Amino acid sequence: MTSVGYDPAAPGSGLERRGIRLGDVLFQGVAVAASVAATALLGLIAYQVVSDAWPAIQEFGLAFVWTEAWDPVKDSYGALTFVYGTVVTSFIALLLATPLSIAIALFLTEIAPRRVAAPIATMVELLAAIPSVVLGLWGILVFGPWVRDTLEPWLQGFLGWIPLFSGEPSQAGMLPAALVLTIMIIPITSAICRELFARTPHDLMDGAMALGSTRWEAIRGVMFAYAAPGIAAAVLLGLGRAFGEAIAVNQVIGGANSIDISLFAPADSLGSRIAAQYQGATSQLQASSILYLGAILMVISLVTNVVAQAIVTRFERSRRAY
Amino acid sequence: MSHTQREKKLMKKALALTLALASVVAIAVVGGRAEAAPARATGTLVGTGSTFVFPLVSKWIPEVAKAYGTDITYSPTGSGAGIAGVTARTVDFGASDAPLSAQQLADCKGCVVIPWALAAVSIPYNLPGLNGRVHLNGQTLANIYLGSITSWNDPAIKKLNPKLDLPDTKITPVYRSDSSGTTFAYTAYLSAVSQQFSRRVGTNTSVNFPTGVGARGSSGVAGVVKNTPGALTYVDAAYSIQNKLQFATIQNRAGRFTTPGIRGITQAVSQLPKNVTSLSQLKIVDPPKAAGPLAYPISTFTYVILPTNSAKAAELRKFVYWTVTQGQKFGLPLFFVPLPTSVKAFAYRELAKVKGAA
Amino acid sequence: MTTMGDDDRYDITVRSAGLRRRRITEKSFAGLAVASAVIAVGILGLVLGTVVHKGLSQLSLDFFTKARPLFGQSGGIADALVGSVLIVGMAMLMAIPVSILVAIFMSEYAGPRLSVALRVVLDVLNGVPAIVVGIFVFGLLVVGRGQSAIFGAFSLAVLMLPMVARATQEVLEIVPRSLREASLALGVTRWRTTLSVVLPTAIGGILTGVVIAVARVAGETAPLLFTSSIAANAISTDVTHALPTLPVTIFVFSESPDPGEQAAGWAAALVLIAFVLVLNVVAKVVAGRTQRRLGR
Repeated sequence: MTSVGYDPAAPGSGLERRGIRLGDVLFQGVAVAASVAATALLGLIAYQVVSDAWPAIQEFGLAFVWTEAWDPVKDSYGALTFVYGTVVTSFIALLLATPLSIAIALFLTEIAPRRVAAPIATMVELLAAIPSVVLGLWGILVFGPWVRDTLEPWLQGFLGWIPLFSGEPSQAGMLPAALVLTIMIIPITSAICRELFARTPHDLMDGAMALGSTRWEAIRGVMFAYAAPGIAAAVLLGLGRAFGEAIAVNQVIGGANSIDISLFAPADSLGSRIAAQYQGATSQLQASSILYLGAILMVISLVTNVVAQAIVTRFERSRRAY
Repeated sequence: MSHTQREKKLMKKALALTLALASVVAIAVVGGRAEAAPARATGTLVGTGSTFVFPLVSKWIPEVAKAYGTDITYSPTGSGAGIAGVTARTVDFGASDAPLSAQQLADCKGCVVIPWALAAVSIPYNLPGLNGRVHLNGQTLANIYLGSITSWNDPAIKKLNPKLDLPDTKITPVYRSDSSGTTFAYTAYLSAVSQQFSRRVGTNTSVNFPTGVGARGSSGVAGVVKNTPGALTYVDAAYSIQNKLQFATIQNRAGRFTTPGIRGITQAVSQLPKNVTSLSQLKIVDPPKAAGPLAYPISTFTYVILPTNSAKAAELRKFVYWTVTQGQKFGLPLFFVPLPTSVKAFAYRELAKVKGAA
Repeated sequence: MTTMGDDDRYDITVRSAGLRRRRITEKSFAGLAVASAVIAVGILGLVLGTVVHKGLSQLSLDFFTKARPLFGQSGGIADALVGSVLIVGMAMLMAIPVSILVAIFMSEYAGPRLSVALRVVLDVLNGVPAIVVGIFVFGLLVVGRGQSAIFGAFSLAVLMLPMVARATQEVLEIVPRSLREASLALGVTRWRTTLSVVLPTAIGGILTGVVIAVARVAGETAPLLFTSSIAANAISTDVTHALPTLPVTIFVFSESPDPGEQAAGWAAALVLIAFVLVLNVVAKVVAGRTQRRLGR
C-alpha cells in the first residue's frame, strides 16, 4: 500500500469533477490561438500586399502582367519585363539543375561507397547553407567577370548564330543570374531526390536486375518510374525557390527596364526589381505598382508550391497502396 | 571510431567553434564599448537618402557629435528613398538631390526642402591606357544613353577628341537602378541639351533608360565602371576621386571643356538671382554662356527635407543650421562648394518654418 | 554472336553487341553521375575557397571591434555582429513558442482534416518569398513608425515559423502513442503529458528544426533591407531603432567599388558562413542522436 498522499487520478476542483480540467482547457486554448494566429498571418500577408497594390491594380488591371513598360517619368508601369526575367532565369536554372541534382542523388545512393557518400552528401548540404547574399557577393566580384571574360565569349563562339547568345558579353545579365540560381536550387532538389531514391524498395530493383537489366536500366525503368512524382515535386520546389530569390539575383542581373532576347544582356526579375526600387518609389502609383509586382510574385510562388504539395500528397496516398 | 565517439568529436568541434564565435561577439561588444562615442548624445536624428551627399554627411557626423552632441544616423539609400522615408515619417529627415515635385510635396504633408550642399556630377569612364582625358559634350552623352552611340571610336566622340587613340571598345552606359537624385540632375542636363532625350526618356529620379546596365547607389555605379572596361557612368565627383576613376571633361555653352572642380561649380552658380525665392530658381544644369568660361554644366544643389511639424524640430533646426553654416567648409576637399549667400538666405527662411509640435 | 575479346566467357554482358552498348550506356551514366557530384563539390569548394581566401586576411582585432566605416574610412563589422545576434535572438524568442504550440495543436488536438489544413497553411507560408515578407512587414509596421530591430526580428520570425512548426510536428508524430497513453493512464493531465513526456522525447528533433531554421534566417537579407537597414555606424543594443546586420552589410559592401570595403565584405561573409556552418553541424549531430533515440 502506498502512502502517496496525493492521488493524481482523484478529481480535484469542482470543474474537474464535471470532467473539465482547467489546465487542459487553457493549454488547448493557447495551442488553438497559436494555430489561428499562424493562419491569420498568412491571410494578413496576402491582404496587406494586395491592398497596398490596389491602386495599381485598379489603374492597370490584369493587362499589367503582359505590358512591357516601366517609366516613372510618364508614370506608366507594366510587369512583363520582370515576369519574363523571373521565368527565364528560373527555367534555365531548372533545366540545368534538374539533371545535375538527379545525377548527384543517384551518385550518392547507388554508386558511391558509403564512406565516400557521407562526406559528399554533407558537402552538397553545405552548398544549401551558403546564404544567398554571399553567393551574390561571389557573383558580382568573381563569377560575373568570369562569365563576361570566359564563358560568354566561348558560348558566342559556338552558338553565336542563335539570338539567345548574341550581343555583347556582360558580367550582369540573364545568364549569370540563371547560373547563380542553378547553384542555389541544386542542393534542395538533390536532397529530396536522394531521399526518394533511398526509399525505393530494393526488391523492385533487385527483381529488375535479376531479369538481366544493367544497373542503369534498373534505375531508369524502376526507380525513376517509382520516384517520378517525387522528382516532379522536388523540381517544383526548386522552381519555387528560384522564383522567390531576390537578393542574389539583384546583385548579378543588371537592372534593365526592357526585354532583350540575348541571355547576355542585362535583365531584371520580379524580386530583384522590388528590392531595388521599393524604398525609393517616386510616386504613389510607382509604389503600388511595385507591390503589384510583389502580388504577382506571391501568386506564382503560391501556385508552384501548392502544386508541388499536391503531387507529394497524391504520391504518398498512392504509395500507401503498396 | 564508433558512431558515438565520432559524434562526440564532432560535437566538441562544434562547441569549440561556437565558443570561438561567441567570444568574438563578446569582444566586439566590449571592445567596441571601450572606444564608443565620447559625450553621449543629447539627441539622435535618423536620416536617409542621397548617396551623392553621403561623403559630406560622413564628414559632418563626427563633427556634429563634437560640436553639440547630437548623434546623426545616416544611411545612403538614394534620393527617392529619402523622399519616401521622410514622407512616411520612417526617418527624421530625408536627403535628396532632386527637389520635390508638387505631388510629392503634397504627399509629404507639410515638408520643407532646404538646399544644404552644392557639388557636381562627374562622368567617369574605364579606358585603361588611353593617351589622354576624354572630352565629351551633352549631345554625345545623350546619344550614348539613348543607345545611338555604341562604341568609343564613334565619329562623334572622335570629333571631340582628335588627339586620342580611341579603341573600338563597346561603351557600356551604367545608370542608377534605384531612385536617384543624381539621375535627376543628369537627366535634367541631358533633356536640356537634347530634345530627343527629353522626349524619349525625360527627367526624373528614376527613368527608363533604353540601354545600359543598372547598379544600386553611387557606390554601385562607380563599382561597375571600375570592373568593366569600356563602361561610363554619372556619379558625384567625390566617388570618382575616391575610386581613382578618370572622369571626362564636358563642353559647356561657352564651348570650353570643363572639369567638376571648385571653379567649375562656382562659375556654374554665378547666374543665380540675388534673391532666391523658390526651388525652381536653383536649377543650374547647362548654365548660360554668361556664367563663365569654366562653368561645369552638370552641377547640382542637394537638399535636406524636413517635416515642418516634428517632435524633433529643435534638433533638426540646430543640425541643418550647422550644416549650412559651419558645415560647408568640410566639403571643399570633396569638391563640394560652399553655398552662395543668396541660397543661404533662402535656406534660413525655409528652416524657420520648421516649428515642431507646438 | 560476336565476341568482345573480353575475359569471362560466362559474363552475359560481353556476349553480344547489344549488351556491349548497354554496358557502355551503363558506364557513361555512372560517369555522368560522378561528374555531377564532382561539379557540385567543385562549386562549393570554389565559393567557400574564395570566401576563405579573400576574407581570412581581413580578420583582425580591429575588424571585430570597430563599427562599419563611413565614406572614405576603414572600420569593421562589430556593430553588424551585435545587431545580427540581437535580431536573430529576438526572432527565436518570437517564433519558437508559437511554432511549437502550432505543432502541438496539429499532432495532439486537431482532427485529421484540420491537421492537413494547417499543414497546407504552413507549407504555403513556407513558400512565401522572403522579399514579400519584407514588404509585408514594412507596410504593416514600419510605415509611420520607422525601422527597428524588433520589426526586423518579427520578419525573420515569420520566416522561421513554418520551418520550426513543420519540423516539430513531424517529430511529435514519431513519438510512440504508447508513451502518451501510459502517461494518461497514470492520471497525468493531457497538457502535463504533452509538456513533460512528449516534448522532452521529441526535443532532439525540435532542436534540429530550430537550428536549421536559425541557420537559414541568419543569412536572410531581403526582410532586413526593409525593416532594419538605416542604422548608425556605431555599436548599439537599442532594439527600438534599426540595428546593422551582417547580411545587409555584406549586401552593401558587395556593390562597393572600394577594394577595402570589398575585402571587408568577404571577411563578413566568412564570419556569416562560419556561423551558419556551425549551426548546421550542430543540427546534424542532434538529429543523429534523436534518430537513434526514437529508434528510427
